[in-house]
Amino acid sequence: MISKRYIFKRLLLLVPVLFGVATLVFSILHLSPGNPATVVAGQQASAEEIRQVEQRLGLNDPVWVQYGRFMLDAVQLNLGESWVIRKGEPVTSVLRWKFPITLELAVLGQIAGIMFGIPIGIVSAIKQDTITDHLSRVGALSGISIPIFWSGPLVILLFSVSLGWFPTSGRLTQRAYEGGAPQTTGALLVDSLLEGNIIMFIDAAWHLFLPAMVIGIYSMALISRMMRSSMLEVVRQDYIRTAHAKGQGRKITLLKHGLRNALIPVVTVIGIQFGSLLGGAVLTETVFNIRGIGMLLVDAITDGDYPIIQGTVLLFALVFTMVNLIVDLTYSYLDPRIEQ
Amino acid sequence: MSTETATPEREERGFVDRLRASPFLTELLSNRLAIFGLSLILLITVMGVGTRLAVFVGVLDFGQLLDTQFAQQQYYPPCGDATLTGWLSSLGSCQHFFGTDAQRRDVFLRTMYGAWLALKYGTVTVAASTVLGVGLGTVAAYYGGWIDNVIMRTMDVLLSFPSLLLALAVVAVFGTGLWKAVFALTLVYTPRFARVVRGAALKVLEDEYVEATVALGARDWRVIVRHVLPNSLAPITVQSTLNFGLAIIDLAALSFLGFGATAGTPSWGWMLTKGVENGLINGLWWMSFFPGLFLALTVLGFNLLGDGMRDALDPRMQDAVD
Amino acid sequence: MRSTEVATGTGLATAVRRLATAGGAGVVVGLVALAGLTLDGTLRAATETTFAVGALLLGFGVLGWSGSVMAGRGIENMQRYMDTGSDWTETDSRRAMARISGFGVGVMLAGSLATVLL
Repeated sequence: MISKRYIFKRLLLLVPVLFGVATLVFSILHLSPGNPATVVAGQQASAEEIRQVEQRLGLNDPVWVQYGRFMLDAVQLNLGESWVIRKGEPVTSVLRWKFPITLELAVLGQIAGIMFGIPIGIVSAIKQDTITDHLSRVGALSGISIPIFWSGPLVILLFSVSLGWFPTSGRLTQRAYEGGAPQTTGALLVDSLLEGNIIMFIDAAWHLFLPAMVIGIYSMALISRMMRSSMLEVVRQDYIRTAHAKGQGRKITLLKHGLRNALIPVVTVIGIQFGSLLGGAVLTETVFNIRGIGMLLVDAITDGDYPIIQGTVLLFALVFTMVNLIVDLTYSYLDPRIEQ
Repeated sequence: MSTETATPEREERGFVDRLRASPFLTELLSNRLAIFGLSLILLITVMGVGTRLAVFVGVLDFGQLLDTQFAQQQYYPPCGDATLTGWLSSLGSCQHFFGTDAQRRDVFLRTMYGAWLALKYGTVTVAASTVLGVGLGTVAAYYGGWIDNVIMRTMDVLLSFPSLLLALAVVAVFGTGLWKAVFALTLVYTPRFARVVRGAALKVLEDEYVEATVALGARDWRVIVRHVLPNSLAPITVQSTLNFGLAIIDLAALSFLGFGATAGTPSWGWMLTKGVENGLINGLWWMSFFPGLFLALTVLGFNLLGDGMRDALDPRMQDAVD
Repeated sequence: MRSTEVATGTGLATAVRRLATAGGAGVVVGLVALAGLTLDGTLRAATETTFAVGALLLGFGVLGWSGSVMAGRGIENMQRYMDTGSDWTETDSRRAMARISGFGVGVMLAGSLATVLL
């Protein structure tokens, strides 16, 4: 069993992680060329206006004072105000409503990837070097080779434009609900259920289906590859051979003894590639015009809205760390031999 | 060094002989998927280099690829017919094989030229990260101690960042453009090479013959150039091949997000963006379909070949199951 | 020629010395960089850049340090278990990251010192 103390120790490590990322993020702004004040004040601002902005943002203070202030603010969850995209709005409140959109998409994509990737990998390993194996390996390679920003549009063209089964973009059909979208958690699937609005839930799921599938294909490809090779790796180990020699059928042996052990490296891959999934979300959101964190980051880089960039990077680091904590706990569950 | 009497020519011949007899090549050549991948790469290379040469010789007017004199929305479907069946039936008498984009530029020619750009920028990215990775990896392996530790753990941390997000962070600091995208991706890919090279170099350094050479007082650079590098060549090649495809995808992704190629460039990433923007929803599929198809084929080619090379290289995988 | 990281230094004193050495190196390199950058522009811009580079290293080091502690045991165990033959250890990783962090702090100090003194 996993002790509470262990989990607490892990959570305590979040402090140095966030300190490190905050420091990194501070340097991003101060390494980039150009005067932030001109970005904030706008291209046509007068010298006087720019001086005022510099004063307000404290850009005239010595750099270590700025660093200290940035870190103190960050501790109090104050990441500053957006400069361009949502001018004047606190970064935390922008992220608060953007993040659930992306998380919802990434989690659904991850679920799709696991649901398809693990069975495909197992079948591929059991039927090694048969047509099935070759087909699923080429399929997995294609999943990695085909960029999301190509498969996404193709999927839209086929299922939305030609067949009309799914909407082309966005998160909801405007007519499906009256009044604004509910804002409890920010994730539509959860919110609509909380409100008991089944129609909206179906509408949201209908909009999320294609983007989640497109993200899922990529992680499916990675997971099935890892599952296959890790399954084959486990098979070579002695106890499987022993079980085999004792007269158990090959497939039964594999599934009975191999699966649990083979899953361990796969879980690592799932944890590690959750980060790439967030990267994939940047592309997928752009393709499907879903205004989540990914599109926010792209817009922020384009417009030089550094507080938003900083906030997004911090948030990504936090999520990535949490996912790896979960992965770590899953290990201990899968293999009690891995000591805590 | 009295032990080294081999003349350069003799070493050369020895190398070719070794290559011919190497189980690596035999294994690789018997892998049909890898051969298929290699053929794809060759096809794309011929396409790209051919188009570039055509422009160079003057057969093809480069301005024709960039020309924007036509007003918006003056497109022309492939062979004049927007449906797939119509396209297939009129392949014989065809003016614009892949149709034109919204500025009436020929998609076929631009896609062909895109192959050249993909190979060019992909090569630069992979070559730069190979050189950096070889440098760092060899130094780490050769000197060991805290140098090794600091270099390799840094590489580990860099590796743990998702590649596209790391590239975006670099772009956020240094600005946008194709060459800056190449720079960002070089940073992203270098750790992968450093790790592979260090592993290979360590194996070479354990070799008794090399150990003796070192003990006899050979200079550092001599050991590295004569022994470490030649013997690390195979894993480096595998790593380059595998990363070539990824580099092309990531470059296109950065262009797609608007941080790489600039307006008008016939790069696959940019053509995709514009093609999707200008009319995918209205059924003008050809503008984005063809550049994307060739992008995917190129990447698939490199991944298939790289996978085959890795399998041929790693003996542990061969006797996986009885 | 190749040497292995000395395994004896596990005490607090050694750790502090390791940090201090890296920090000292950071101050020296930072001052040199600062001088170089000042020749090319203003002292203020040079301070800012030097400090930011130091912060980059510090952030990277601290992040790597906590990453090694967090994932360390798991990775080590998995390697032993999977027999991948890699020689990654948590201790090595933490040490390397401590060196980088110390160096980063040194560079940041150099950036700050220069403006205070000049």
